[in-house]
Amino acid sequence: MISVAPDMSNKSSSNIDIDNLTKEQIALEIKNLNLFYGEKQALENISMVIPKGQVTAFIGPSGCGKSTLLRCMNRMNDLVDTCNIKGEILLHDQNIYDRSVDVASLRRKVGMVFQRPNPFPKSIYENVVYGLRLQGINDRRELDEVVEKSLTNAALWNEVKDRLHDSALGLSGGQQQRLVIARAIAIEPEVLLLDEPTSALDPISTLTIEELITELKDKYTVVIVTHNMQQAARVSDQTAFMYMGQLIEHSDTNALFTTPKMKKTEDYITGRYG
Amino acid sequence: MKLWFKSGAPWVWMTAGAVSISLLSVIGLLLLIASRGLSFFWPSDIHQFEIANSSGETSVIIGEVYESEQVPTQRLITSGIEFDKEQGEFVERYLIKTGNREYVELDFQWVLGPEIVKETRPSGIAVFERSKNGNFYGFVDSVIVDGKTIRENKEDALFAAIDRAVDLNDQALDLQNDEIGAINYQLEKLRLKERKLELEDELTDAALRDLENQRQALRDEYKVYEKELFAFRDEARRDSVIVKDMRGELVTLPIFYVLDVSFPNDMNFFEKVIQYGKQLGKFVSDDPREANTEGGVFPAIFGTVFMVLLMAVIVTPFGVVAAIYLHEYAGNNAVTKVIRISVINLAGVPSIVYGVFGLGFFVYMLGGSLDQLFYPEALPGPTFGTPGVIWSALTLAILTLPVVIVSTEEGLSRIPGSLRQGSLALGATKAETIWRIIIPMASPAIMTGLILAVARAAGEVAPLMLVGVVKMAPTLPIDGNFPYVHLDRKFMHLGFHIYDVGFQSPNVEAARPLVYATSFLLVTVIITLNITAIGIRNHLREKYKSLEH
Repeated sequence: MISVAPDMSNKSSSNIDIDNLTKEQIALEIKNLNLFYGEKQALENISMVIPKGQVTAFIGPSGCGKSTLLRCMNRMNDLVDTCNIKGEILLHDQNIYDRSVDVASLRRKVGMVFQRPNPFPKSIYENVVYGLRLQGINDRRELDEVVEKSLTNAALWNEVKDRLHDSALGLSGGQQQRLVIARAIAIEPEVLLLDEPTSALDPISTLTIEELITELKDKYTVVIVTHNMQQAARVSDQTAFMYMGQLIEHSDTNALFTTPKMKKTEDYITGRYG
Repeated sequence: MKLWFKSGAPWVWMTAGAVSISLLSVIGLLLLIASRGLSFFWPSDIHQFEIANSSGETSVIIGEVYESEQVPTQRLITSGIEFDKEQGEFVERYLIKTGNREYVELDFQWVLGPEIVKETRPSGIAVFERSKNGNFYGFVDSVIVDGKTIRENKEDALFAAIDRAVDLNDQALDLQNDEIGAINYQLEKLRLKERKLELEDELTDAALRDLENQRQALRDEYKVYEKELFAFRDEARRDSVIVKDMRGELVTLPIFYVLDVSFPNDMNFFEKVIQYGKQLGKFVSDDPREANTEGGVFPAIFGTVFMVLLMAVIVTPFGVVAAIYLHEYAGNNAVTKVIRISVINLAGVPSIVYGVFGLGFFVYMLGGSLDQLFYPEALPGPTFGTPGVIWSALTLAILTLPVVIVSTEEGLSRIPGSLRQGSLALGATKAETIWRIIIPMASPAIMTGLILAVARAAGEVAPLMLVGVVKMAPTLPIDGNFPYVHLDRKFMHLGFHIYDVGFQSPNVEAARPLVYATSFLLVTVIITLNITAIGIRNHLREKYKSLEH
């Protein structure tokens, strides 16, 4: 199994220079990505890097293509028949859209958590080990270990440790979302994609998830799409602003919110539209 | 009034009215067949009528009042019946079941109300239930046990003699069905083996001798059982009972043929309830007798349930797999649409058409080929190339396939896309997602399809008449002879039994209550099957309740 060693150096220095990253510091590299839904172009010539061990946030008004871009990173857009993609996304120097790439194993490396919690109608335990069972791991001890570790990392262990074999549908929305995160990190992905993970949750659950995200970046590269600018400012190291299918600005979160370079960014973060 | 219309109340009344009418008709239907069918088993009083007709002849009729009706007097007068006294516009007419079939012309007689001189319900009238010639009504005169005539305590002696004879007959029947049946089965197997060897040109002298030895051993065994069987029968034939019938003559009834005796006129309510339960139990658990007009319907219940379960086992995997292909894999294009419409329209094809198809394709083509490939030794006698329970199940499986496909597809489309994505995002392939998430979640819908399929299949008769149902099957599809389940056998079916008893019966009057009783039983069987399936479905629903927030 592939796992990324916690890179403590990144945490201390969130002010990395995104324009001059070494190969080891790059998790994903997007090159000239164009995406069409039928005739309509949804993403226009996007090029950027997602640095390793950092939280990168995508912000922008509805329909700007930020979720679409996120879904490109683990090829969830393959499910849409009319979707047509040109360009490259590199993971370990390999284009994930290459013919030789096995989509299932790509998705094991690039996990995803969706807007609404979507636990399977199984027990909490079975939800967490779903990805492992898919890989043919059925050893009880190993699974038990992973369940405890993943649920602990997802800050859910203490709440559910006595009812691991109850249905996951009995959990609250916030707990379900953390369970889904636990399920995603149980298979130790390199990158974790979060698609507006708190938009269906109450403020307290949102806070728990946000705390969780900051902890997760020790181990995983996190990419988060959010509607909420405060959230982006709170949890992310890097922020990318998108507008009408284009990447307008991508820089250090502090820099983007305090001294935006582009007029559109400034207008958006000061609330003139969006 | 205008306000009333505006308030929407008429709409509520109308919709509620529609529901009530549907409900009432269902309840009415069930009540009718239940009351007509179940009342048949109630031990009704035996009446003795003294009758004097217009020409002055008197006679005595003993029997159960089967039904009564109002007949216009004028019609009776035109048909040549004269009345002494002036009658009203209508005359009551009774249908009396007199039994005693071998001694009177008809075991059912119509009696006109005005001709009845006297009606009594004398105590001591016995009803004999017999394995031949139907019921016998009369007064017990004496019992002959082992050559001795008994007049004291004759009831007790009678009961004891009947118990003994029934017991002996049961033993004889068991012997005949189990031991002797098994020997016959093995002899047939040996014959087929010999024929097979002959066909393969391997019938050496040694093999022949071996076969002959086995055959001889079986025949010796058979002789022992045969002796035993005849011994049982001779024993059972020992006693008889002398009964005075309604003509006043003494008749000797061999107890060998008597199954049960009761004295309904001397029974109190509780005894009648017990007798009722006994009769009902016999109806459900006994084999039919006398061209299906007497006895029980057990083989038909067994055949119906067995065939339906077999059908369910066949149709579910096929339907589910087809629905999964249509919904998950087939492209959303014109061809798929045409296929889907065709599948839905298949449900509208008349069932007899499926029967014809089943006969032509399954029985003659498939069964015929199977016979040539695997059972050449039995030819020209068919093994699978003849109607049988497997072909019935297959034909009904095709008949109900559209129902299962449609409801499974519906269930598949109700599964939230987020769950599929969740599974895919964890590195599952599409097949893994379908197998681990989609099918379990669609299982309640699959069960719904199965419920509808079972309901339709259990009530279907027309196609079965072509592909496997018979009036009387000598053996059940499951028995103690290897390989225990005989899918090539013909079977009995409650639906066909209703048709047979009601319309093909030699004794219409005797059969009519059985039609109701069997109908009620068929409905009960279907409801039981459905409730079981619904129970399973609700359990699954509870388990796979999808996210609702």
